[in-house]
Amino acid sequence: MGKRETIVLSSSDDDGDCNDNDFASKSILKYFKKPKSGAASVPRTNTKGPIPKKARISSSRSHPGKSSNPFDEMKEFCEDFGEGFTGFKVSAGHKRDNKELWVDKYKPRSLVDLSVHKKKVEEVKIWLEERIKTKNNNHYNHVLVITGLPGVGKSATVEAIASHLGVTIYEWNTPTPTIWQEHIHTTNAGLRYMSKLDEFENFVEKIRKYGLISSSLTKEPQKKPFLILIDDLPVTNGKISYDYGRSDTADYTSRCWEELQTSLQNAGAFKVAFNPITPNSITKMLSRICREEKLKTKAEQIDAIAKASGGDIRNAITSLQYFNLKSNSKGISVNSNCLDDGYSLSCGRDETLSLFHALGKFLHNKRETENVTASDSLKEEFTRLPMKMDVPEKVLGQAHGQARPIADFLHENVLDFVEEEGIDDAWVVASYLSDADSLLASLNGIRSRSYEAENLIQSTAASVAVRGVMFGNRHPLSSRWHAIRRPVMWQVEQSQWRNKKEMIGERCVGGYNGVSLSDLSVIATEWKPVSKWLGGSMVDNNDCDLDHFEEICDDDEDEIEDW
Amino acid sequence: MLWVDKYRPKSLDKVLVHEDVAQNLKKLVTEQDCPHLLFYGPSGSGKKTLIMALLRQMFGASAEKVKVENKTWKVDAGSRTIDLELTTLSSTHHVELNPSDAGFQDRYIVQEIIKEMAKNRPIDVKGKKGFKVLVLNEVDKLSREAQHSLRRTMEKYSASCRLILCCDSSSKVTEAVRSRCLNVRISAPKEDQIVKVLEFIGKKEGLQLPPGFAARIAEKSGRSLRRAILSFETCRVQQYPFTNNQVIPPMDWEEYVSEIAADIMKEQSPKRLFQVRGKLYELLVNCIPPEVILKRLLQELLKKLDSELKHEVCHWAAYYEHRMRLGQKAIFHIEAFVAKFMSIYKGFLIATFG
Repeated sequence: MGKRETIVLSSSDDDGDCNDNDFASKSILKYFKKPKSGAASVPRTNTKGPIPKKARISSSRSHPGKSSNPFDEMKEFCEDFGEGFTGFKVSAGHKRDNKELWVDKYKPRSLVDLSVHKKKVEEVKIWLEERIKTKNNNHYNHVLVITGLPGVGKSATVEAIASHLGVTIYEWNTPTPTIWQEHIHTTNAGLRYMSKLDEFENFVEKIRKYGLISSSLTKEPQKKPFLILIDDLPVTNGKISYDYGRSDTADYTSRCWEELQTSLQNAGAFKVAFNPITPNSITKMLSRICREEKLKTKAEQIDAIAKASGGDIRNAITSLQYFNLKSNSKGISVNSNCLDDGYSLSCGRDETLSLFHALGKFLHNKRETENVTASDSLKEEFTRLPMKMDVPEKVLGQAHGQARPIADFLHENVLDFVEEEGIDDAWVVASYLSDADSLLASLNGIRSRSYEAENLIQSTAASVAVRGVMFGNRHPLSSRWHAIRRPVMWQVEQSQWRNKKEMIGERCVGGYNGVSLSDLSVIATEWKPVSKWLGGSMVDNNDCDLDHFEEICDDDEDEIEDW
Repeated sequence: MLWVDKYRPKSLDKVLVHEDVAQNLKKLVTEQDCPHLLFYGPSGSGKKTLIMALLRQMFGASAEKVKVENKTWKVDAGSRTIDLELTTLSSTHHVELNPSDAGFQDRYIVQEIIKEMAKNRPIDVKGKKGFKVLVLNEVDKLSREAQHSLRRTMEKYSASCRLILCCDSSSKVTEAVRSRCLNVRISAPKEDQIVKVLEFIGKKEGLQLPPGFAARIAEKSGRSLRRAILSFETCRVQQYPFTNNQVIPPMDWEEYVSEIAADIMKEQSPKRLFQVRGKLYELLVNCIPPEVILKRLLQELLKKLDSELKHEVCHWAAYYEHRMRLGQKAIFHIEAFVAKFMSIYKGFLIATFG
């Protein structure tokens, strides 16, 4: 694979020096990144030309086993060392003996260390291997997009695999976007503006040339494959990062990100999605660290941290370090009793749930069945087993549930979860939903007056709906898989609204012979059915108003189709 | 032209029901001192017919030369501007509109648009200052705020304009508005009055009515004259000459409701409740007002119900009808009623038959 590149690259080799400098600085400064894609062993950086802002390209360069340029060789060696063993994210400043961040200290060194699901690792590895092994260049998809929430080990996986396969990683350091004022300023200062795109191309070019030089100098046919890593892909595009800072709407960025992803995939990129790491894996990892650090952290504490991290292993490790730091200074006694009272939460992430997850919890309505002590204060018909979940209000908060959609969704789906005999339960549920609806409607009048009142009513209504559903459904069906439907009501309301509009238009024609307006209810309940009934036969009886009637009849036919 | 339109009395002298009200109205306008008027009474009792005849009495035939306008009004509501679409029907002397079409934004219609209309008074041919008449339909559906604004308008512009309000039930119109109007109650016509009207139409159309046939239609109509005439016409299309055992076709949605009622009586389970919900949606899509659905459903259920349960069922129907007015989404409440009914009925069945 090296040969062809040699030819391509040899044209300009004088840039070597500055490349080196750039490299050195770049490989040291690494950022955390979200999505990244790496591709290996492809010299044709420009194949991805049309989507340059988004995609990163991989190129391969030959690695000098022994470079004739001692300086280069040294550099490289350092880099490799750094990448392979020390981990990227450790900058010199942070390396103080014991103060090292555990996130860096326990960075996975090998594939075995990874907490990421084996299958995903395998997927990435196979993809990379394929690119390396294939000698010819007919692969056009040199881009791999890895997506996943922060802290699920995307970077770590790539790095571990790269070191396993002996691939060198070059990381594109996302530049800060240049804002207009800054541009003016620098131009005045005599600096030439360079587009980020150009910068990226230069970067790739440098890597290529660098590899070429060494290989041509050493005459060594064996080249080490290279991989370019772009972190924080959504921010790579200057525009997006700029807008992000300004408008701060998550919707916007996520939409951009979606677009980016699809355009990448359309261009042939291969996508691997990483899921949050399971609490079990995190627990395992944390216990290992504890062992190595010789800490006496209790298993429950580790569990609590793992759970609170929400699948973010980076966060979990940092939490653990912080946790132990605190408890060390306070002594072990504190350590033992701090567990249950929210202390462990103080170092966790706020958990968020999707709306559907929350709805699922409410609808499935799981209850404790063992070790339940009956409370005496309530009549039997009002007692329920304790819930197997957090307080509904908390769950609502986590899901950012709005009262109206929550009520609609519950209404649509709850009957699926009521057992066949439980019509009484169905009534209790329905009556609470009716209460919730009345509460929500009472908003209409006050809306303009008081936000506080609105908030209060909103949350009360949501509470009533959720708790009503959970209380009312006394014997929820044993959990089997249910799809949660979108409320049909929304669709009904839309077509109702459309029909109503249509009727408003018709009300001058139908009824009172155009001399007066009739009530909509009259049109709906009397005019429409009658004219439907009379239908075509009406036409014979008619004298002057034929036109009107045909119009009505036509409309009716349309409407029947709508049904 | 439908018979309801064809045989609608054009002047106050020609009305066949509520002759007394018509005569009083006539006296009222001929004396040139017309107050604001509030017509109320059940649907199909003749309110609109009287209003139209009254307008004709006041302004002559020009009141019938109307044009329909569908206009979008831009209303300035504090910080933003709202676009309101509104259909009006107007002659040189009067404007008719349905302010409640705007839903919860109805108060802007009352505050801005009606005020605007009320301000411009027409100039009489003789240079005399005349007054303009605003006919507002379905006032009972107006929100409280809108009704309060309406009260202000009535006071402020009473010199230049007269309001004729029309609604089904005056109980939903605020006291303040009611006390500023002359209340005209139009009761539902009696069955023998309906029969008289049907016979009149039959004679005009040259139809042979078998004895008792008109009475049967009148009975089926629930004392709604419009309903009676419409059924009469459908009967005519369906089968002529009339026979005494001829079925008077119900409205399609009514049939549908009785189907729902039959479903409910047959099985009481969450699954059935879900099916019923689907059917209710279908009615709602066709803009059948939820109150009407609930009322009709109750009627159908009562037909087949043991008298022991009737009281309780009616109680719950009333309860949920009230809820429905307080609430936003009718289906929640109708469904709650159906569920309650199922639960009551099932309990009853178990208690009776074990």
